[in-house]
Amino acid sequence: MIVGAGASGAAVAWRLAQAGFSVVCLEQGRWINPSLYPTDDKNWEILGRHEWNWDPNKRGNPEDYPVNDAESDISPLMFAAVGGSTIHWTAHTPRFHPSDFRVKSLDGVADDWPITYDDLDTYYDMNDMMMGCSGINGDPAVPPRSPRPMPPIPLGKDGAHMAAAFERLGWHWWPSDNYMNSMPYKGRDACNYCGRVGFGCTRKAKSSTDVNYWPEAVRLGAVVKTHARVSEITVGANGRATGANYFDRAGNAKHQAARSVVMAGNGIGTPRLLLMSKSDAHPDGLLNSSGLVGKNLMFHPYSITTGLIPDLSETWQGPMGNILMSQEFYETDPKRDFVRGYAYQMNRGTGPLGTALGGAHEPVTWGAGHHEDFSERFGHNVVLAGIGEDLPEEHNTVTLDDRLTDSNGLPAPKINYTLSENSRRLMDHSVKSATTVLREAGATRVMANPLLRSGGWHLMGTARMGDDPERSVVDQWCQSHDADNVFVVDGSVFVTAGAVNPTPTLQAIALRAADYIVHERDDLKG
Amino acid sequence: MPTSDRQLTDVDRVVMKRILDLIIPAVDDLPGAGGLGLAERVERGSMRYGRLRSGMLSILDAMTLDIASRVEGGFAALDEERQIASVKTVEADLPVQFSEFVELVYETYYTDSRVHERIGWVGRPPQPEGFDIGSWDPSILENARKREPFWRKVE
Repeated sequence: MIVGAGASGAAVAWRLAQAGFSVVCLEQGRWINPSLYPTDDKNWEILGRHEWNWDPNKRGNPEDYPVNDAESDISPLMFAAVGGSTIHWTAHTPRFHPSDFRVKSLDGVADDWPITYDDLDTYYDMNDMMMGCSGINGDPAVPPRSPRPMPPIPLGKDGAHMAAAFERLGWHWWPSDNYMNSMPYKGRDACNYCGRVGFGCTRKAKSSTDVNYWPEAVRLGAVVKTHARVSEITVGANGRATGANYFDRAGNAKHQAARSVVMAGNGIGTPRLLLMSKSDAHPDGLLNSSGLVGKNLMFHPYSITTGLIPDLSETWQGPMGNILMSQEFYETDPKRDFVRGYAYQMNRGTGPLGTALGGAHEPVTWGAGHHEDFSERFGHNVVLAGIGEDLPEEHNTVTLDDRLTDSNGLPAPKINYTLSENSRRLMDHSVKSATTVLREAGATRVMANPLLRSGGWHLMGTARMGDDPERSVVDQWCQSHDADNVFVVDGSVFVTAGAVNPTPTLQAIALRAADYIVHERDDLKG
Repeated sequence: MPTSDRQLTDVDRVVMKRILDLIIPAVDDLPGAGGLGLAERVERGSMRYGRLRSGMLSILDAMTLDIASRVEGGFAALDEERQIASVKTVEADLPVQFSEFVELVYETYYTDSRVHERIGWVGRPPQPEGFDIGSWDPSILENARKREPFWRKVE
């Protein structure tokens, strides 16, 4: 049984179903017909701010659980549906670097992972083929790797303009790897560069697991139960999982029996459910003998630096975020006042409403200067998003709120997260360097936000992997130390965060865990 | 805090039309947001999202109650300079609600087809047409490929 039908749950379901395992997935959301996404609605910008908002607290659908983020410097973002947050992600998919798995050995901070880049290489490739990766080899910032199945997405005039600015400074840039179709792929259309990938893709050109892994898994016999909100992982007297209690769409309490449980509810949903699953065998919550469930929460802090470049126009044409990236400042440099580093992702402008409301910046001013301010921004705005490596700290936590509940009366997660001094310095540096590039590109005005509060796309670290049961929740195969038939395969298992979008890495980890189950845990086959 | 089911009065509507013109003034041959007749759409839009309606009512209450008690004829009778000063006072007193009200006004103004035409926006949803951004040109990587690999090796 898998809990959660998002990025990692889908990958595991496909691999296990392929190997003949009986798979059932409990998903609190629904299957969404891609034709329902708002990108072909004339009110698409308004819908994207409300019904299709990235933030579950603003969206407020019955299948969403609220999150108490009042004590967090960053608001978590997620989506409850078959496909999970791959429904609304931008599908920017760089890989971790080899160094990301060895930060303790290399830089003396945090911990090393129990696995290496090489352990995941095969699974990265497998995932790239399933999800559909567009990109090109030869990037000097990363190790050599297998060719992608599709060529890169075109840079567009604005992308080429920014690439030239990076080159004049002698700074690295490379076309972004992404899971968007630059050509028809596996029965899905090529992207037509509408740009609004964050609202879901009506053409299925942007990859999400509801249009790739899940159809294959279902064809192989996997079953997805939608509107199934799990309230507790049940255990026997021996402490091993026996299944899950859940509420169906009508609010009826039900039970799903299972030989094993794979947790794939994201870095907040998974610890929430583990903490809700208290029993005599697991009095502090399931898998929590180490006390680390819900601790070490990591986001990727984002800085947003926007340049207004008069030489560019119509920068709202093209994919919002899959253009180019720079990893010039990715690794630790002792000359800087922080350890580890950050990457840049170039983003484009947006529509009229998004521009007026400012995005990560102040809205366009009201009153006498309104039209001048709007005209300066609209169609001329180019964004460099700095994505920083967050380091794990035990005081950054997911706990259960004692008052806020979801629509089934289950406790909502409460987030306590404080941006570290290292991350703050790193973000400040990213703003400074981004300003340099944007000025080089001809920006006449630069707006900077050193920490995007509404930028908690990546949820990691709250059930970390490791060899020591006292310092970790799962082992290198994502199998829990406390109950050998419970696995955690989402971003919760990350030991550190790297400075790139985590989905290809968490999916590769999930596929590796599934292979372990297939080859080493035949007793779980049913 | 006003209840979100309160209905707008005629006075509210007069005040709102004027505030809309102050928030987004006329430009070129386009009237301000009030002159475009968007007050009714703002009101309708507020019915859809409770948070924004609450903000709108808070601002209208603050404007009408505060100014009407001090000036005969209320807010509408003030000259523009004093109207702007009054709106800025309310903005300072109720920053969250004012921000939500501006959000509602912008949602209405920047989804209007007349505005789209003036600013050169395509005036259609992104799909199904999408956009043409050219084709991938591998020669753009000629310089980037010259750089030696610089990723950090590990044991």
